[in-house]
Amino acid sequence: MKRKALLISPELCIGCRGCQTACKSWNQLPGAKTTNRGTYENPPDLTPDLYNRIRYVEMPSETNLVRWLFVRQMCMHCDDAGCIKICPAPGALFKTKEGAVAFNKDKCIGCKLCVAGCPFDVPRYDEKDKISKCHLCSDRIAEGLAPACAKTCPTGAIAYGDRDDLIGKAQKAGYQKVYGQTDLGGLGAIYAFKDTPKIYGMDERPAIPESVVFWHRVLKPLAYIGLGGAVAASLIHYAAFGPKREEGGEEK
Amino acid sequence: MTQMVRKANAFEILNHWVIAISFFVLTISGFGFLFHLEQLNSVFGSFNNTKVIHNWAGVVFSVSLFFTLFYYLPEALRLSSDDIGWILKAGGYFSKKAVVSPQDKLNTGQKFYYLFVLVLGIAIAASGFIIWLMPGVRKWVLLSHLVHNISFDLMIIAFPIHIYLGTLANPGTFRIMVYGTVPLEWAKKRHAKWVQKMGL
Repeated sequence: MKRKALLISPELCIGCRGCQTACKSWNQLPGAKTTNRGTYENPPDLTPDLYNRIRYVEMPSETNLVRWLFVRQMCMHCDDAGCIKICPAPGALFKTKEGAVAFNKDKCIGCKLCVAGCPFDVPRYDEKDKISKCHLCSDRIAEGLAPACAKTCPTGAIAYGDRDDLIGKAQKAGYQKVYGQTDLGGLGAIYAFKDTPKIYGMDERPAIPESVVFWHRVLKPLAYIGLGGAVAASLIHYAAFGPKREEGGEEK
Repeated sequence: MTQMVRKANAFEILNHWVIAISFFVLTISGFGFLFHLEQLNSVFGSFNNTKVIHNWAGVVFSVSLFFTLFYYLPEALRLSSDDIGWILKAGGYFSKKAVVSPQDKLNTGQKFYYLFVLVLGIAIAASGFIIWLMPGVRKWVLLSHLVHNISFDLMIIAFPIHIYLGTLANPGTFRIMVYGTVPLEWAKKRHAKWVQKMGL
């Protein structure tokens, strides 16, 4: 199956937050009471009950003093996902055949290592200490439907489809570099940024923490190579030199 | 009847079994986390249980490690020129004829093994508690995750060698972990300075 993705186009976004509402509606997530912080951006951060939100970035340029950027914050559905890599519980975090990073709360052991492994600060934990995050509406896309956010988006700022097609479409529209095209094996949420990602508050080069990569590539294999090697070395020593006995000692 | 001398008291024997069993449980469950060994669910029930058991076995391990400070640490720090002699002869493990210098209650290898276990044990316990009790604090968890796994790799290399030296390689030594006593004649050969100090 071709890998699916979301193409986010901040230039098309009008900041209506329909995606936030549609997501809550489909995933049956309760609303939260928040306070006015002097911005339309609301809520202030992702929560276990808020899988995605629109960040309102006020970034005036020389020509435009009132410049509002609407940037979507959500799980990026990395191909090489740090959360899956570091997760110690099999089946708690997994890849669907469409390429979504989904989760199974029953398998989650609540250790929160995925929070440390995620380059985008996405995983949240519910009141039962189970992982909660965007799963690209894996139940919808498995049936060939678009995720709730893409379905509801009135301007096409959130487009769902085959990842290659979406990249081609963005390039045709004049975006040479699509954010997330190659990072982390290619993200499942790609962005058509007009400016540098930094302006939008995004990491220029997102990556899995180096210590996690080192652990995965070196320390993990060394655990069983070390164990096996030490056992083998002991047996070889026994064969070569035998036991160390003391004459007239405990031996009868 | 062979005259015996006591090398370990009842508490030391018990504590050694406690730290050994807790380490074994931690290793099994730890391997389960590293390599997603779902077969372990037939032992622990679920990975949720495995986590709880891993965490609390870590508490047992830490307490047990703390008690070793009182009887192994003073012995392990009693280093002298005889320890250099032991190292130069590699403890006599690679020659049938080598005569190693007289040893204390713990020989040089045992001293260094203890210090090794102590340092790594503190590192693995401290990092484990941080992962357990400070979840989601990214910087600390990442550092602890690294320290926890490096210490584990080193321990899992040393551990089989420790068992080998305490059983197959040195017949008659495993009884210390059961009875706590060794024959006096054997002790005179292996731990001459200790026997001398006891005035036997």
